[in-house]
Amino acid sequence: MRNQFDEQLELLNVELIRMGALCEEAIGHATRALLEASAASAEKAMAVDAEIDQKEREIEQLCIKLLLKQQPVARDLRVISAALKMISDMERIGDQAADISEITKYIKKNENQSKVHIADMAKATGKMVTDSIDSFVKKDLPLAYSVMRYDDVVDDLFSAVRQELIGLIAEDSRNGELCIDLLMIAKYFERIGDHAVNIAEWVEFSLTGKHTSNEGVQA
Amino acid sequence: MTVRIFRSIFLVATAVLLACFILIFGMLYEHLGQQIQAELQVEAVYIAQGLAQSGESYFQGLKGTNRITWVAADGTVLYDSDSEAAAMENHADREEIQEALTNGSGQSTRYSTTFDERRIYFATRLSDGTVLRVSSAQRSVWVLIMGMLSPVIFIFVLAAVLSGVLASTLAKRILRPVNAIDLEHPEQSETYEELAPLLSKIYHQNRVIDSQISELQRKQAEFTAITENMSEGFLVIDEHTDLLSYNTSALRLLGAEAAGGKRSVLALNRSEGFRNAVERSLSGEHSEEIFEREGRYFQIMANPVSREGRVAGAVLIILDITEKHAQENMRREFTANVSHELKTPLTSISGTAEIIKNGFVKPEDIPHFAGNIYEEAQRLIALIGDIMRLSQLDEDSLPLEKQPVDLYALASSVLHRLEDAAKKKGISLALSGQRTMVSGVPQVLDEMLFNLCDNAVKYNRENGHVRVCVSTEQEHAVLRVEDDGIGIPAADRDRVFERFYRVDKSHSKEIGGTGLGLSIVKHGAMFHNARVSLESELGKGTAVTIVF
Repeated sequence: MRNQFDEQLELLNVELIRMGALCEEAIGHATRALLEASAASAEKAMAVDAEIDQKEREIEQLCIKLLLKQQPVARDLRVISAALKMISDMERIGDQAADISEITKYIKKNENQSKVHIADMAKATGKMVTDSIDSFVKKDLPLAYSVMRYDDVVDDLFSAVRQELIGLIAEDSRNGELCIDLLMIAKYFERIGDHAVNIAEWVEFSLTGKHTSNEGVQA
Repeated sequence: MTVRIFRSIFLVATAVLLACFILIFGMLYEHLGQQIQAELQVEAVYIAQGLAQSGESYFQGLKGTNRITWVAADGTVLYDSDSEAAAMENHADREEIQEALTNGSGQSTRYSTTFDERRIYFATRLSDGTVLRVSSAQRSVWVLIMGMLSPVIFIFVLAAVLSGVLASTLAKRILRPVNAIDLEHPEQSETYEELAPLLSKIYHQNRVIDSQISELQRKQAEFTAITENMSEGFLVIDEHTDLLSYNTSALRLLGAEAAGGKRSVLALNRSEGFRNAVERSLSGEHSEEIFEREGRYFQIMANPVSREGRVAGAVLIILDITEKHAQENMRREFTANVSHELKTPLTSISGTAEIIKNGFVKPEDIPHFAGNIYEEAQRLIALIGDIMRLSQLDEDSLPLEKQPVDLYALASSVLHRLEDAAKKKGISLALSGQRTMVSGVPQVLDEMLFNLCDNAVKYNRENGHVRVCVSTEQEHAVLRVEDDGIGIPAADRDRVFERFYRVDKSHSKEIGGTGLGLSIVKHGAMFHNARVSLESELGKGTAVTIVF
């Protein structure tokens, strides 16, 4: 009985790694769709998003089965409940990557795009997602903390991009459409960064039993 | 086993003890019965004598535990010590009395109707024909036992304790040699000879196991030696993607750290290609994928492992194909470049020839156009010549013999040929060093030297300097061509030896050249087993050193 439980926990772990890898893939495709104006990448990002949704349902069922049948306690319970929360963040990351890809279809390659820091944002959020998944895979608490701190970088980049876009519109109002699209993409990237932070927090919770965002409530 | 031996011994002891008691009691009972009878007989004799001397009054002074009955010859009870004689029935039918009447004495053991207990009777016929009977209650076995109960229990407990202690000691002593057997070396143990076949069997099995273990260890060591010395990554996983075995190369290629315990191979790498290969192999298909990690390219080959008709895991081999990948890219670029380089002069030739053919050119302009065609054709010939030389160097199929060549003289002749070109830009050429002989193909060495010096002049500033130095260092001939020209940007330094690679991407005609010069130098050096090194600083100049 115990053996089966351990096996299923291991399966949960592997499935989470798979789902995390899919998220990285989705962001990678979305970034390429944006920077290289590649319609094929945009399509791929959306296909991966569908796969992520499927995976979320599978993992959800696995978690619920584990909770009901094995009635885990202590650490195991923490791991499973953290997994349940983590997959919803991962699913959101997939959705937002698909949303970014959707917008890129309407953006024509334009030199104004290279004037803003959107590529840096894409790179920074990609790194955050990779690091948050890595912190889960390697059970690496310091890495999880570094992801939480790195969110500031993405937030600063978002403000910078926003300022740059305002400047572009002021320069020539014909840039308006492109700028609005880019602003939305930047916002999506910023949200992806937040979800990566959430994942890192759930990693922290599953490892230590403490959740950073709860600290204010407990105090 | 000790417990069992103890229990057996103890049970046997107890059973024997019990049986002894029962037998002893039985015999005692019998013996006591006979003794009572003898006593009764003696008593009857005494009483009979007393009765003969003193008559009936003798009974008055008699005191005893036994019952005395005096019966007349017809069976009428004359006296009874325990009951009123007159009230008693006729005793003629009593077994012992009848026997006494006929034989002179008689005895019996039976239930007395008078006392309602088992009694022993002895009767004797007196001289007057009457019968005297003495009887005693036979004490039953239970009474006997009850009487002896406390000593019997005491003895029993004592015997039980004694037998327990003895059984335990004995059991231990019997087993001591068995426990002392060293199962690793059963042949050295001294123990019961009944165990000898077992021990010899154990001994032989030990030897079989030892040889099997060492065989397995040897195989394991062999396997480890093979996999550890592989530069390829090697991983074995089960059907749940958990790692079963891996070599250090695999960890190095995947950038993972060694860790104990069960973990999924996907924790080592989760890039798309890697995941696809793992998943496809676990679904029973062979698969090959390429994935990228930290700027390097890896090929993964995954093969399913089947057991009893289903996939039980997979074997993964990982190769670093970064160089191959780069070479493939280079080849693609080379093909693109070569076509481009060949097409440009041809287009120019074809265009000029077309204009002449259509008669748009005045006769006096024809030499100019023909000159263009000639120049472009020369360019084409030079290019094709370079490509042919390169491919000859590539394939090591130079039809020329190596012979001793004086590098200094060669350098001098090359510089002489470049004097005109250098003079146009006001560049000064200098040669230093001494006669240095190397073994090589003069044509190739000349070409290499010419290309180097030509580059030094071409990519120089007005009034620059080119210095060629031929020397010997540590028994190696060293050729060094230095200029203080425009230099090569750091990003391009590694690539200038590639075919058709140009720092100036515009492929400008004014500088000329085919883009193959340094490539020929590199391959020529390789042909002569020489080493080429390049130092350069942007804006300050370039130095190329060839060490033979």
